[in-house]
Amino acid sequence: MRRYVQTPGPIGQFSELSLRQRAGPLDLVYVAYGLLVVAVVVASYLLGAFGWLPHDPQAMDIGLINAAPFTSGHPLGTDFLGRDLQARLILGIQAYFLPGLLAITISVVGGSVLGILAGYRGGWFDTIITYFDNLLDSFPRLVLILLVIAAFKADIYYVMVVVGITGMPVIANLIAGKIAFLRQKSFIEAAHALGLPAHTVILKHILWLNCRALLVIQATLGMAEAILVETSLSYLGFGVQEPTPSWGNMVQAGANYFLQGNFWPSTAPALAILATILGFQLLGDGLNNLLEGKRRK
Amino acid sequence: MKFAAIKPVSRVLARELAVTALLLLGVSVVVFAILYLAPGDPLNVLLEGQSPRSQLALGMREALGVPQTWYGQYAAWFGKMLQGNFGNSIRTGLPVLPELARVGVYTLTLTLGSLALTLLIAVPIAVHAAAHGGTTGNTAATLAAYVLSAVPVFWFGYIVVYVFIHQFGMFPLISGTAAKQEHAWLYFLVPIFVLGIASGTLSEMIRHLREELSRVLAEDYIRTARAKGAPVWRHAFKEGFLIPVTEIMSAKIPFLLGGAVIVEQVFNWPGMGRMAWQAAQDRDFPVIMGIALVAAAFVRLGNLLQRVVFTAVNPRASKE
Repeated sequence: MRRYVQTPGPIGQFSELSLRQRAGPLDLVYVAYGLLVVAVVVASYLLGAFGWLPHDPQAMDIGLINAAPFTSGHPLGTDFLGRDLQARLILGIQAYFLPGLLAITISVVGGSVLGILAGYRGGWFDTIITYFDNLLDSFPRLVLILLVIAAFKADIYYVMVVVGITGMPVIANLIAGKIAFLRQKSFIEAAHALGLPAHTVILKHILWLNCRALLVIQATLGMAEAILVETSLSYLGFGVQEPTPSWGNMVQAGANYFLQGNFWPSTAPALAILATILGFQLLGDGLNNLLEGKRRK
Repeated sequence: MKFAAIKPVSRVLARELAVTALLLLGVSVVVFAILYLAPGDPLNVLLEGQSPRSQLALGMREALGVPQTWYGQYAAWFGKMLQGNFGNSIRTGLPVLPELARVGVYTLTLTLGSLALTLLIAVPIAVHAAAHGGTTGNTAATLAAYVLSAVPVFWFGYIVVYVFIHQFGMFPLISGTAAKQEHAWLYFLVPIFVLGIASGTLSEMIRHLREELSRVLAEDYIRTARAKGAPVWRHAFKEGFLIPVTEIMSAKIPFLLGGAVIVEQVFNWPGMGRMAWQAAQDRDFPVIMGIALVAAAFVRLGNLLQRVVFTAVNPRASKE
């Protein structure tokens, strides 16, 4: 079944070229920006986790509501209750960081297992995975998530299990394609001829030595998806609840003031979402161009 | 040539119909599995908290004829759905299916309108880019595509709403009264436009169409056509235009339906997305279940149409 896939390119096509030859000028910019975003997110997550915030995120200052950026004491301004936006933006990362890691762990592990079964065992496994893929693609993801929320509860970890599972088929397809390509290579045949057990061939020679770049790339793109889902849900009111900040509920909280012309309290978290999702996506695609050799002529 | 294409299409149509039916069956199993695994018994909701393990509950189970085994329950549930009985909304008590039909029209307008509008914008840009090349333009388009696909839909919606309030002095709110005002078409176009741009559909469409069309234009048979002086566009149309357009449209339907949940929220558009949001708030299970099934059916229908076009254009595909 033909399927429109957004990111993956031809597999291993340019592997004989050196990294320098493969790199387009923009790819390096993409990766550099992406790494910067990841560094900022991880550092901010740690700051929030240890409570080292520049300001108390819950302290209200009624005399200073919806302050513009660069107000003294509040470099990023304040929200509609006079709470420091910088501290709340940093703390908002808590809402998606660990849940996002859960989602990408599920999709990487599950996708690898399915991909190996399809690529290594082949046959009807391959058919089953194609159908599984089409089945998951049939649901608009947000609708599936709302269904799970209605059935179970509005818990971000439940939601991220759904995100992880729906992310599995793409990874499975890529791994299966990679294995189909690798099987023609003589080193796999040699490994079998040497009598190496199947799990060594699969885990070491296929997954670790040949698929790790692909998995890192997909995990990066998966994190972008997880952030998109978390912020959308907390905007819709199903995620973290006030007064705990998340980027989505911060946009929502500032909405009324936005329509009155006070853009900043809603725009600051929206720009944080934009910059972060963009960073993870560019990192994933840039690495894909560099390491997996998808390169436009 | 035309006759050659007819037989494979009917054969593939039969196969694709079977696949679609199988996948819809799978969809119903997934939805049922979530229903089955959910904590709490729907009967408790019906009993409104009156001691669930009492004689009353047992008697009610008996009287309603609820099957004991999971496959029995699935068969009963599936049979009811085939008769068009999706159950009643827990919140309003109304039957789900007529309600879905009522709001579904709005969502259909929103998503299909969004597809049509984005197509109208994307096609000229993509064709121009593919025909004239131009590295700067392509790089700019790629970057714009990245940025647009990362913009939060809700925030983008607020910007548009703000512009409308302050520039045009009106709120693009879709309700019964709005449709009677002048410029009513604008009220409809705005959410459609926002959904198309901010769900990343527009940028993805431009990128996909441009890549496919420029790939086809570089093929040998196009070079031959050019050398012979034959009309290049007519030769490139099927592979370079028709297939990628249907492909991207079918691939984007689930994204648009998902984006509709948020856009309908921002613009107060009375469609399935808002209903899904309300149902998830109230844990109104029959409603959200019905929406998931209808949405999945819509996605599969789009996919089926894409397969039919693909096979009609490329009869070899039937031998795959």
